[in-house]
Amino acid sequence: MTCDQVKEHIADYLAGALSQTEAEELDEHFAQCAACKQETAALSETWEMLGLLEQERLTVQPSAQLRSRFYESLEAYRQGLESPAPGPVRRRFFDWGWKGWAWSAALLIGGLGAGQWMGQRDRSRADLASLQDEVHHMRQLVTLSLLEQQSASERLRGVDYSSRVDQSDTEVLSALLHAVNHDSSVNVRLAAVDALRKFAGNPAVKGSLDQSLVKQDSPMVQLALIDFIVDERDKAALPSLAALERSPTADKNVKEKALWGLSQLQ
Amino acid sequence: MPETRADNVLMQKVRDGDLAKMAVLFERHHRALFRYFLRLTGNREFSEDLVQDVYFRMMKYRHTYRDGHPFTSWMYQVARNAHLDGVQKRKGETPLFEAGHEGSMHEPASAEPDPSEILRRRQDLGLLRRALAAMPVEKREVLVLSRFQNLKYEQIADILACDAGTVKVRVYRAIKALSQIFFELAGEKAS
Repeated sequence: MTCDQVKEHIADYLAGALSQTEAEELDEHFAQCAACKQETAALSETWEMLGLLEQERLTVQPSAQLRSRFYESLEAYRQGLESPAPGPVRRRFFDWGWKGWAWSAALLIGGLGAGQWMGQRDRSRADLASLQDEVHHMRQLVTLSLLEQQSASERLRGVDYSSRVDQSDTEVLSALLHAVNHDSSVNVRLAAVDALRKFAGNPAVKGSLDQSLVKQDSPMVQLALIDFIVDERDKAALPSLAALERSPTADKNVKEKALWGLSQLQ
Repeated sequence: MPETRADNVLMQKVRDGDLAKMAVLFERHHRALFRYFLRLTGNREFSEDLVQDVYFRMMKYRHTYRDGHPFTSWMYQVARNAHLDGVQKRKGETPLFEAGHEGSMHEPASAEPDPSEILRRRQDLGLLRRALAAMPVEKREVLVLSRFQNLKYEQIADILACDAGTVKVRVYRAIKALSQIFFELAGEKAS
């Protein structure tokens, strides 16, 4: 074993993970190389002392508050997944249900693909643009229909599906903003905040984030919104952040986050 | 290991919608996570925030958990990201490893009968804590994972997304760097 090979084996030596053969080779090298022997002994001593620090560490416990905070957020998540959507369905037009629309979209897209495959190569650019519009329209319908569902998990699918819609689609954008502001499920609201990032270039998003921040009753959503606001450098939200930071009723973590947000944007 | 398999099964259930199972994973692992962050940051409050963040992220991104992936590795991958993001967000705030933290830990009970030996060991451990705090976080992290969290090099390789050989090299470099800082501090103290 060479000096370089010894260095490669020191981690295993420290962890007691050397094979019998490796241990014997190492001992043979130590018998001939005082430098390696001395270095390994020094590193072993440090490693052993770290073990004493480990014993000391075991006496350090987290506070009881950590447990209560965890159970609060777990409960919020569970409620978010189980609670029904609020209020009456806004668009009767979508009563067909998302599955119906999804099948329609799949059939239409499949039909369009088959048509193209059959060799209609002389289709004009105008026709293609029209087909693309149809596909986009179907995606929009599926997204909006999913977002209207009673089940939170299906509304989550709607939020996820929104990523397939063009970012200039104001109707989907409006539905996502509605979900952020009014959905009964914290989980859906959080997912909608994430989905809105795709639409960040749209001025309507920036203008509405600070309003959403004030309307929220969920600290987790407020935290996600503050991250979004800071990432987008949305200085129009500074007054809302300042109000939140001063609010006597706001969550402690949200207040701290709002203060951080102010420091990032000011 | 049965415990590990049970963790995997629980996480699969969480991913599939049974969020209540996350409470069991919290009870099993939150202390280890807290101590992991405490060794990395030296700050109790920040460490508790990071633990909270890890469980929040595991719930939020539960759909990314893959069948068969060791839960502990996945949890520490999430924990690393939470730590990196947390430190990034704290830039400009109170430095971590603030003075006073060291005193919050207790010395281990020693069976050593010689009072002067106890004193020397206590001083050495104090210096070692300082040396550990003075290390770059990348080096400290690999020692925390291997020596304090008792993870095998293969598990650490999974967490750090590299091979076990690379982890061993990093452990060697880290323990060597720690030893150098420790002996420098000891030299300053002696001089």
